[in-house]
This record gives sequence, structure tokens and C-alpha cells, in this order.
Amino acid sequence: MNKRMKKVCENWKQAFPTENLGEHLFPEFEKRTTQASTELFRVKTAIEAQEIITNLVKFTNAKKVVAVDSPLQNAAGINEQLRSMGVDVYTDPYDIAEHAESADIGISSVEFGIAETGSVCMDGFSFESRLVSMLVPIHIAFMNSNNITLGLNDAFGIISKVYDRGYVSFITGPSRTADIERVLTIGVHGPGRFILIAIDEEVAGGAN
Amino acid sequence: METNNRNIRNEINEKLGDDVLRGALGRFAEAYPIARAKAYENVDNSEAIRDEFRDMKIHTVNNIEKYADEFEASAKKRGAKVFRAKDGDALKKYLIDLCNEKGVKRIVKSKSMASEEIHLNHALEAAGLHVKETDLGEWIISLAGHKPSHMVMPAIHLNKEQIAGYFSKELKQEIHTDIPFMVQVARQNLRKEFLLADMGISGANFGIAENGAIGLVTNEGNARLVTTLPRVHVVIIGYEKLIPKITDAACILRMLPRGATGQLMTSYMTMVSGETPVMVKQNGKWVEQEKDLHIIILDNGRLKAAHDEKFKEIYQCVRCASCLNVCPIYTLVGGHVYGHIYAGGIGAILTALLNSQEDFDKINELCIGCRKCVEVCPGKINIPGLIDLLRSQTVKEKGLPFGVKLVFENVLANRKVFHNLLRLASIGQKPFTTGNVIRHLPLFLAGMAKDRSLPAVADVPFRDRVAKITKKIAKPAKRVAFFAGCNTDFVFPETGEAVYKVLQNLGMEVIFPEDQSCCGKPLLGMGDRDIAKKIIKRNIIAFEEAKADVILSSCPTCTETWHETYIEVFADEPEWKARAEKLAHKFREFTSFVSEAYDKAGRLTPAAGGTKVTYHDSCHAKRGLGIYKEPRALLDATAGYELVEMKDCDKCCGMAGAFGIKYTEISMPILKQKITNIKDTGAEIIAVGCPACMMQIQGGLDKQAPHIKVKHIAQLLADKIKD
Repeated sequence: MNKRMKKVCENWKQAFPTENLGEHLFPEFEKRTTQASTELFRVKTAIEAQEIITNLVKFTNAKKVVAVDSPLQNAAGINEQLRSMGVDVYTDPYDIAEHAESADIGISSVEFGIAETGSVCMDGFSFESRLVSMLVPIHIAFMNSNNITLGLNDAFGIISKVYDRGYVSFITGPSRTADIERVLTIGVHGPGRFILIAIDEEVAGGAN
Repeated sequence: METNNRNIRNEINEKLGDDVLRGALGRFAEAYPIARAKAYENVDNSEAIRDEFRDMKIHTVNNIEKYADEFEASAKKRGAKVFRAKDGDALKKYLIDLCNEKGVKRIVKSKSMASEEIHLNHALEAAGLHVKETDLGEWIISLAGHKPSHMVMPAIHLNKEQIAGYFSKELKQEIHTDIPFMVQVARQNLRKEFLLADMGISGANFGIAENGAIGLVTNEGNARLVTTLPRVHVVIIGYEKLIPKITDAACILRMLPRGATGQLMTSYMTMVSGETPVMVKQNGKWVEQEKDLHIIILDNGRLKAAHDEKFKEIYQCVRCASCLNVCPIYTLVGGHVYGHIYAGGIGAILTALLNSQEDFDKINELCIGCRKCVEVCPGKINIPGLIDLLRSQTVKEKGLPFGVKLVFENVLANRKVFHNLLRLASIGQKPFTTGNVIRHLPLFLAGMAKDRSLPAVADVPFRDRVAKITKKIAKPAKRVAFFAGCNTDFVFPETGEAVYKVLQNLGMEVIFPEDQSCCGKPLLGMGDRDIAKKIIKRNIIAFEEAKADVILSSCPTCTETWHETYIEVFADEPEWKARAEKLAHKFREFTSFVSEAYDKAGRLTPAAGGTKVTYHDSCHAKRGLGIYKEPRALLDATAGYELVEMKDCDKCCGMAGAFGIKYTEISMPILKQKITNIKDTGAEIIAVGCPACMMQIQGGLDKQAPHIKVKHIAQLLADKIKD
């Protein structure tokens, strides 16, 4: 078993508000995050995510994956599935450090989405969770479809309850630049593809 | 760029001839307002967010020491080392010592304007360190050896051919001009730098006192790598970036990306609080350790500004560069001319406060005071107002140029001399086709300008026409004292006549206090407060004696000066301040006053169309006085006119007092665009509410579209009143 992953908060859900949060905000979130070039997939059960991953590995010819553990991802059985396809999967933090730079895909989970901006909030306290979302050309993130907040004010309401120290990020689509002639170009220093898999079913332990 | 020997005029001409720059900035100026509006489409009340942000920042700057202490304590508690650098030298020394102590050889940087401000990279390289900028734009300009020309898009002045040239030179291989390919080249080359770096240096978009976190927004993801991969992380943060609480970050993030790039959110927003884990390879084996985090809080003039009643307003800047994106001057000449390190109007102010007043002096005149920037600034910073104030400080310290001073003291301060000279000018100009000093007197602050013909001074000034046009009104509805202003009095007296006709038609008595003179705005614009005050006092006396119900002007700039500046200049003379306030209360701008009177008289109902008329909003009417509906309502209500709107109807015409004459080369392209927009409407008449705009637009029409007439709203109304 890997060492326990360091997090800003072990249970973000306890900080979620009762208002301005929920699955009803998903359509607006979908609209905004898709506008930001996130590739969003919504599935009812975790196990359905397997098909998305299978297709992706086939189309991209991915050989190496780095992944940090999360209950959602475990429920989807992604690592086992990838290995059965002959993909090298690294989940140990030190292995991730060694292989993230040369991996084809990185996998992690995120805590919640923000409908106003189409962003997702990632708890990035652990070094390895950041590597899998930064160095790879494709980043796949899992989230629960119910965990959508209305706006940035609500998002910071949550963060202010749990954030004492560490590393917290919003991710809104892939890495991009417009520094040459203001032409939008995807994938400069970070991933060129950001794939978000939203799962409707509640999995014990939430996104974490 | 670094020296004070800048020849702004040469630089302007060079940039105006730079087709790459003109093209890029022109396209951006077109696209930006649309992108920004779209980004705000899902915000219900953007004004409320601006107010929330501004109030939060005002509270912070008023307690800056307290929040700096709290930020420092919070960061230290979580394992960061905090150093307060009083200036660039102190910062560089700390940083270089730190590199020596930690055995740092290679550094990667994400964007930090504060480090540009103090020329940090030069110092680090001189100390033998290997430093790489990783923001693509910053990397490009570092290869080019340029300064950023925009705070958000530092390389906007370069095209892909030029950039490919710099890449080819740096990488010693031919890089072809395919943008996605070039971006991949940058990714690969800089990736190596990230992986090998010992230290990452980042800026900060905000710093939270509550938990010592810093926040960064980027699109490329370079700031995430800079703050994650190297074993040492140094944050350079200015005091103005501090905020009290975590929740205070929300309003910044709701406005910064929307204003900066028209995005709802950048690709990445990153917050780091305290030490975080980092893995390093030791003897071929990965080990995890706590990252060395150093936060340097940079002063360099910021704390002094924080304690200045006026200049503390710069703490309301989020560095989104919205102000540049709408600035008519910036979008023509770019940040290398209009700027020092920081670009544009806000750049001029930051330059004065953080770099030097001398650098400011070189560029401050480029602000035309149109206030487009104030309209979009998230923090509602009065950028033109602060520039005026800085200008007046320079004049106080160093005085005006000798010739200008002479004119001000001997001519302007004495109404009779001034007005006699103007009368002489109308005679003197006749035999000449080219200008001389006297000819230019109505635009005395332009007095130093040579290369432009100005509208003729009228044969008979308005003040000499008053007796002829004044009607006796039996039982007048109101007694109105007319303040003409120089332009109406001496250049466009027919506007004054029209004002009389319209008001008398409303049954009002109109009087003209003879002792009135220039409103004083041009002097204030030049920074000469002392002489301005003398003139203002005389105007106040003249209008007190008029004992009118209303004081009225057909010039929005004069109106605004009476409303605001007359009160402001007497901050330390309470008796005069009270007198000015009393009159300001009665002071009205023509279109707003008449539309109200028409409305009362049931005359403000839409009438059948006729001649096509388009309306140009003057900067001072629209953004100074908030008057833009009234002139339109008047045109709508007058039979015989059909109002058609033009593109960018509220964009400055390029005159802006003296600016249009002093910087003709910049003013002309702005005017040309305005005339094109007017022509595109198919209107036969361009209506204005401001005599300065009238002068400028008339000049442009003469050359480009002589069939279109420019008229003041007062004239258009008067033309339809039967004698």
C-alpha cells in the first residue's frame, strides 16, 4: 500500500454549503467548462468510466500512466483495467516522481466544480498529485457530478473552511497561451488535454 | 527605455510607423471590448463586485502594516521565511545571498512585474546565475532583449516572423513560423529548464493575511511548475497585493481574468500556503522533503504611497491591464512608448511612485484624460485624476517651462489682457495662412505646438454679440447666467447664440457676466494650480454677483471643472470652498438642463425623422458627468432629425484639450477613425455637445468628409426654432 497522500483536507464534503450546491448546477458547469475546452464526460456509475478510458488509450496509443489514488478512481477500477490493456501504471509517489515527465496520461481526482467559471478545485498538497496534473500531455480528473457550487464566492466559502496550509488549485480546461499574435494555442507548459469524468453515483469517501 | 533621455516624439513616430505593432494593437483594441463584455455575461451586478473589491482594498491599505504583519506571521507559522525588502537593491542582495547559501545555480521564473520593475534578471545574471523566464511572452521578450509592452501580453508588439527569428537564433536552428509548432518548441526547451532548476521565482496576484497563502493565475501552467518542481521557491510580492481573508480572493478572481483576457477564469489558479512537499533525487533515489519557501515583500515606494491620501488608490490595481486595452493612446503606440516598466496610464502612475518622477515626466502627457480606463478598471482607480495630480507635483517642484509660465502669469491671469489678445488674434490671423503664437492663443496650452492649423478665432467674440441677441423676457421662468468658456466665446460664438435662442424660447432670462474668463482647466491640466486658483476666484465672484437661479455652460469640460475641481482646489481654503460649492450646485450642462426643461414643457416626445444625425459623446460629458441619454432625447424630440448611432460613439476624438495639438501625430489617427465611423453612418450632420470635440471633428471633416457638418446640439435645436 502506498503512503497516505497528503491533503489540505481529508474530507472536503463536510465544508460544502447546503445552498448553491448540487447536481442541478451541472448543466451550467458543463456549458462553462466545455467553453474552456475541457473534455467532459458524465456517467451514472463509476464502472462506466472504464469505456471512456479504454477508448482514450486506444486512440492515443498511451503506454504509460501515472495515477494518484482516489476512491472514485478505485471504484471505477481504472488501474486494473489499464494494466489489463498492457499499459504501465505507476501509483507509488516515488514512481510518479520518476515517470510523470515521460508518461502519456496522468490521473487524479478533484474536489468540486464551479458553475460560474467551469473550473474544478483540486487539492494539490501532495507533490505527486500535482505532477500527474502538470507534466503529462493528457490529464484525466474524476469528480462527483453532485459537487458543483454556484460561483466563486461559494467556492471560496468552502476553501476558507478547510484551507489552513498547502496547495490548492483551480483547473479550467487545458494549458493555453495567446502570447504569439494572440492566437490561442493549447498545451504550452501543462497538459494539452484536460479530460473530466463526472460520476453521478456517490462513492464512499467522496472524491477523496 | 532606462534613461531619462527619452525623445518621446521620435519614439511615437517610430511606433506609428511600425505596421506590426499597429496591426496587433488595432486588432486587439477591436476584439477586447467584445471579449470582455462576453466574459461578464453571467455576472449579475459587476458594479457590486467592483465596489466590494474596492472597499476591501481601501480597508486593507488603511491598515497595511497590520495586514503585512499578519501575512508575515501566518506565513512564518507555516514554515515560510519572510523578508521585507525596502527596495530593489535589498531584494537582490537577499536573493543572491540565498542562492549562494543554498547552492542554487539554475532559476526558473514565472511572471513577476515587480521583478521587472527592479531589473532583477540582470542582477541575477551578473551574479553568475542561470535565469530563465518561463511565461512564453516573457521568454520571447527576454530572447529579444525587450521590455514588456503590455502587462498581460508582454510580446504583443512582435509578430510570429520576428519571434521565429529570435527562436532560431537562441536554439541555433531554423524555426519556421507555425504558431502551434513554435509553442511546442518553447514547451520542450523550457521543460528542461523546469526539471533542472534549483529555484523557482514567482510573483503573486494576491497574498492572504489570514493564512499566509499567495495566489497565482496563469494560462500556460508555468507558475504551477515553478512553484512545484524546484527545491526552493521564492515569492516576490508587493504590499499592494495583500488581502485580509481567503474569501476576499473571490472578487479579485471574478474580475481579473474577465478584464485581462476576457476569460471567465484562467486555465490555472494556484494557491500556496507555507511549506509544501517536494521530491528531489539524491544519489539516484527520490526523497521527499519540505520545500524551502521564501516570501519577499517588496516596498520600493509602495508603503509611502499607502500613506498618501490620494496615491493609496494604486492599491486598487489588480494588474489586469483593462485600462491599457481601452486606452486610445496605448492602442496606437503601445507600451514601449506609453510606459516605462508598467505600461499605459496606470503604468505612468506606478512609474512615478515606484521608479522615478523623472521617468513619469517623460510620458505623463500622453494621458488624454478620456477616462475610458476608469470605466473598466475593476478597482475604479481614477487614473487620469492621479496623473493630473502627479503632474501638478512636478510643476510645484520644478515649475513650468519658462515660456509657458510667462504666458500663464502675464496673459491668463489677467482676463483683460487675455481677451484683448484674443481679439487681436482675430485680426492678426487674417493675412496669414500659417500660424504664429498669437493665433494659437485660444488654445494657449497648445501654444507650444506648431505643426497644425487651428480653427480661426471668430471675428466678433461671443461677449461682443451678447447685447444684440439678448431679449427682454417678461416674467422669466428662470434667470440663467451663461458661462461661455474660451472656445465658445472666441472660436464658436454661434454656439453661444444658439444657447441664448433655446433658453429664451423656453421663457428664460439669460445673462452674461462680463468678468468671466477661462474656467482654468487648461492650467490645471498643465499642473499650475496657483494661477488657476486666481482665475477661479474671479469667476466665482463674477457669478455670485450675477445672482442667477442657474449657471449654464455648453461645454462639459467647463461644467465638470466647476462641479469638481473648483471645490477640490480649495481644500485648504474653506471659505472659498463653501462659495464654490454653492455655485457648483447651480451649475448645469446645456443638454441635461434643456432636456429637463423640454420634458417639463411636454416637448420631449419623439418626433418624426428627417436629416440623419449621429452623435459623438464627449469624454467629459459621458464619463465625467454621466450625460449621454439627454442629448439623444433632445435629437429624438426635434422634428427634422433622425438619430443614427455610430460605432464607438463614446471613444475620444483625440482632441482632449491641448493633447490633439501637442501630439498631432497620435491625435490624427484617432480622429481619422472617428471620421470613418461618422461617415459609415451615412449621417449628414455630426452632433456634439462639446466645443473642443467640435474643433477637432471639424478639422477632420474638412479633410476627409467636407459634405458632413458638425454642429453643437444647441445649434441643432436653435435651427428648428422659428425667430
